[in-house]
Amino acid sequence: MAMLEATRVRLAGDRSHIGRRLAALLFLLLVVMSLLSLGHGASGVSATQMLLDWLAGREPAQVDRIIMYSIRLPRLLTGLLVGAALAVSGAMMQGLFRNPLADPGLLGVSAGASLGAISAIVLGGALPPAIAVLTGWHLVPIAAFAGSWVAMFTLYGIATRQGRTSVATMLLAGIAMSAMIAALSGLIIYRADDQQLRDLTFWSLGSLAGASWTKIAVAGPVIALALALSPLLARGLNGLALGEAAAAHVGLHVQRVKTAAILITAAATGASVAIAGAIGFVGIVVPHLLRLISGPDHRWLLVNSALLGASTLLAADMVSRTIVAPAELPIGIITALIGGPFFLWVLLSNRRVLDA
Amino acid sequence: MRGLIAASVVWAGLSAAVAAESYPDAGKVLAIGGSVTEIVYALGQQDRLIARDSTSTYPAEAQELPDVGYMRALSPEGVLSAGPDLILSEEGAGPPETIDLLKEAEVPFVTIPSGTDAEGLTAKIEAVAEALGVPDAAAGPVEELQADFSRLAEKTQDLSETRSVLFILSLQGGRVMASGQGTEAEAIMELAGARNAMQGFEGYKPLSDEAITAAAPDVILMMDRGDGEDGHGAAAETLQSLPALAETPAVRNGAVIRMNGLYLLGFGPRAVDAALDLHEAIYGDG
Amino acid sequence: MSLIARDIRLKLGRSQILHGLDLTAQAGRLTAIIGPNGSGKTSLLRALTREYLPDSGSITLNGRDIAGLRPEVLATTRAVLPQHTVLSFPFTAAEIIRIGLTAQVDSGRDRLIEAALAKVGLPGYGGRLYQELSGGEQQRVQLARVLVQVWHPVGRGGPCWLFLDEPVSSLDIAHQISVMELAADYARQGGGVVAVMHDLNLTAMFADHVLLMRDGRSLAEGPPAEVLTDNLLSTAYGCRLRVNHTPPGGVWILPQAVAVGMAERV
Repeated sequence: MAMLEATRVRLAGDRSHIGRRLAALLFLLLVVMSLLSLGHGASGVSATQMLLDWLAGREPAQVDRIIMYSIRLPRLLTGLLVGAALAVSGAMMQGLFRNPLADPGLLGVSAGASLGAISAIVLGGALPPAIAVLTGWHLVPIAAFAGSWVAMFTLYGIATRQGRTSVATMLLAGIAMSAMIAALSGLIIYRADDQQLRDLTFWSLGSLAGASWTKIAVAGPVIALALALSPLLARGLNGLALGEAAAAHVGLHVQRVKTAAILITAAATGASVAIAGAIGFVGIVVPHLLRLISGPDHRWLLVNSALLGASTLLAADMVSRTIVAPAELPIGIITALIGGPFFLWVLLSNRRVLDA
Repeated sequence: MRGLIAASVVWAGLSAAVAAESYPDAGKVLAIGGSVTEIVYALGQQDRLIARDSTSTYPAEAQELPDVGYMRALSPEGVLSAGPDLILSEEGAGPPETIDLLKEAEVPFVTIPSGTDAEGLTAKIEAVAEALGVPDAAAGPVEELQADFSRLAEKTQDLSETRSVLFILSLQGGRVMASGQGTEAEAIMELAGARNAMQGFEGYKPLSDEAITAAAPDVILMMDRGDGEDGHGAAAETLQSLPALAETPAVRNGAVIRMNGLYLLGFGPRAVDAALDLHEAIYGDG
Repeated sequence: MSLIARDIRLKLGRSQILHGLDLTAQAGRLTAIIGPNGSGKTSLLRALTREYLPDSGSITLNGRDIAGLRPEVLATTRAVLPQHTVLSFPFTAAEIIRIGLTAQVDSGRDRLIEAALAKVGLPGYGGRLYQELSGGEQQRVQLARVLVQVWHPVGRGGPCWLFLDEPVSSLDIAHQISVMELAADYARQGGGVVAVMHDLNLTAMFADHVLLMRDGRSLAEGPPAEVLTDNLLSTAYGCRLRVNHTPPGGVWILPQAVAVGMAERV
């Protein structure tokens, strides 16, 4: 604070310079995490060595090439995209619902995605062969994505009357719909056999192990587009912090902001859940932590959430694939195991601020 | 990108074609699935194993091998880091993304067909022997298997009555998860000369109390969690405490059998031993 | 240039809130809307700012129908201060005020933010967390946010407008006066001010034009001297009220007494 007053040019209480510096730092962190992620894995393949070999014109061994190009690189990209998507979606939902504990689950996205995945895993075998050939083993991701969108649009339709979306209705209808979807999922799970149940468990804990170029080619552009559009909503979400009426009075198209936030979140989350399963906690912990450091101004919160979310997921993934190597722990276990206590600690050490 | 997909499709085709071939020079074998690992040991080829999956827990030495995780959730890098030059797997290994990458990495991947009868088990052993390039090594275990089957046939052919068995997969929260049709549990009890007490559903399902009472099983079969006599006592107590189960002939007569899960349901070389043991346990007293 | 509302009817749920209300507010004047609780003052203000869409009637601002104006255009002409604002995240005062600049082309006008804070009597409060401020301070930060949105009382497109819903309800008497001075000053410089008021003394002191409401209808509209009469007020509020009548004894304090010298201090 003393420093701020000394410089005098800066407006007191304007934390955007913190956000800006934080963005630079987080970008560096992300670069470091990416390199670490490329360089670490169950196998001893070294990224540096491969780079040196490549510069020296030596052909890498087939297995090394596959580990680097077909396993670690797509996995890195998937981690970046999914981590950023989860954190940004979380931040946007918290802004939209004006609640630091909101997450895309309130849009029915998660419930819809898991219903899709469950249906695909359990009932997938009953598909007509023509469709089965078309979707191949991408059936689960496709069904998860479709499920998330169907659920989100249904909810949006229910909550929108005469061109106005009621966030409160959405919240309540979301609870009702999640319960219905959970019941439906339960009905399908009842039909599941032992193996399908285990597949479901693994899916629900999330993993980047299934990363592939094909999945990135399909889901990557969706997530990237959503992430690229999200900063456009920063001022809108700042305005919404004052309430919908005040947001409209300062000149915002509130309905447009709401619709855009919902669409962007559904796209980013749906695609993420489709390729990496359900990964919890990133969407709540990352934005919350950033708000404590640089304030709730969405102009930096969204960008920084993307950066820190990506780093967080890469870190969790590194733990997940090295801790029990050569086997692997589902990443959702890691994020919840580390994220949970960390979140509690943050909550307790900031109790006074939160209660105020 | 397209080239990559095309390449992997071609490879998928190629490796399907070479699946029947054998790899006598493969010295670093990864076994996926408890029964496959057991067969490798039965063939005396265990020195060639370098890793296993988490379901491969028998024989005990196998557990000293690095574990690449659950067979349906294999991590591609984890598998490759073990450096296998041959992967032998039960049916159902996955996820498909991983299997595709392993094929791309040109690691021969042989899927061993599953089977629960004499023919199927013989084929299973022969397939593993074939893949390892030691077809002759199968002779011993297969002969043994056949001998076991004839012993089993002798025991089961002139049974005066067929007892009914309720296989309980789990008793979580007092809810009985039992085996229906098409399960390994049903296969093994039929081998042992008994019949499944539960009819009318596929797979493993939670049962209602009335369904249990109506089924009135003569014997209850459960998996041994490796907790010995104490576990057995605890299981018996749990069974007693559930009214629907306590009224069954099985619990009233104390006909509760517990056996190791992999031994009982793995359908490896010991499947017939398991069936014989089960037969003894079911009919031994009468 | 003025705000003209004609025959405003509004139904919320099943109840009719406004029954064909008229109001004419001129720029350069402070217009006060008064009336008992539940008379529809706030609903009228919300209809005037398009927070509620009236079922019938027309509202023009500076000669343009507000129904046809896009929010970002409307936002450069008028700003709205709600009764109270609940905030969801720990913004600083400066960050809150910056939100008022959303519709501005260049939003980086930091000096405006500091000037606005000084104007509402909170100089140097920019770095304070909104949630840690007192109710009165919060209300004044919101007022500062509203002020930066339409900083110049007369803009390029004509006069600008402040719509204030009970701007002084949570303030102490000194700040009540200073905020009302600020509003009156805005009007004096050519801007328009429409305020929902509870305090009849402050209304009498600062309003140039008064709308007295009861049960969603206009009871009287005109200069304070014509509206704030014994008869009209007694009818509106449902109790006997007498204007300019000093109590026979006891202690009483009127804001009029503080006003002397207040303008210099602020």
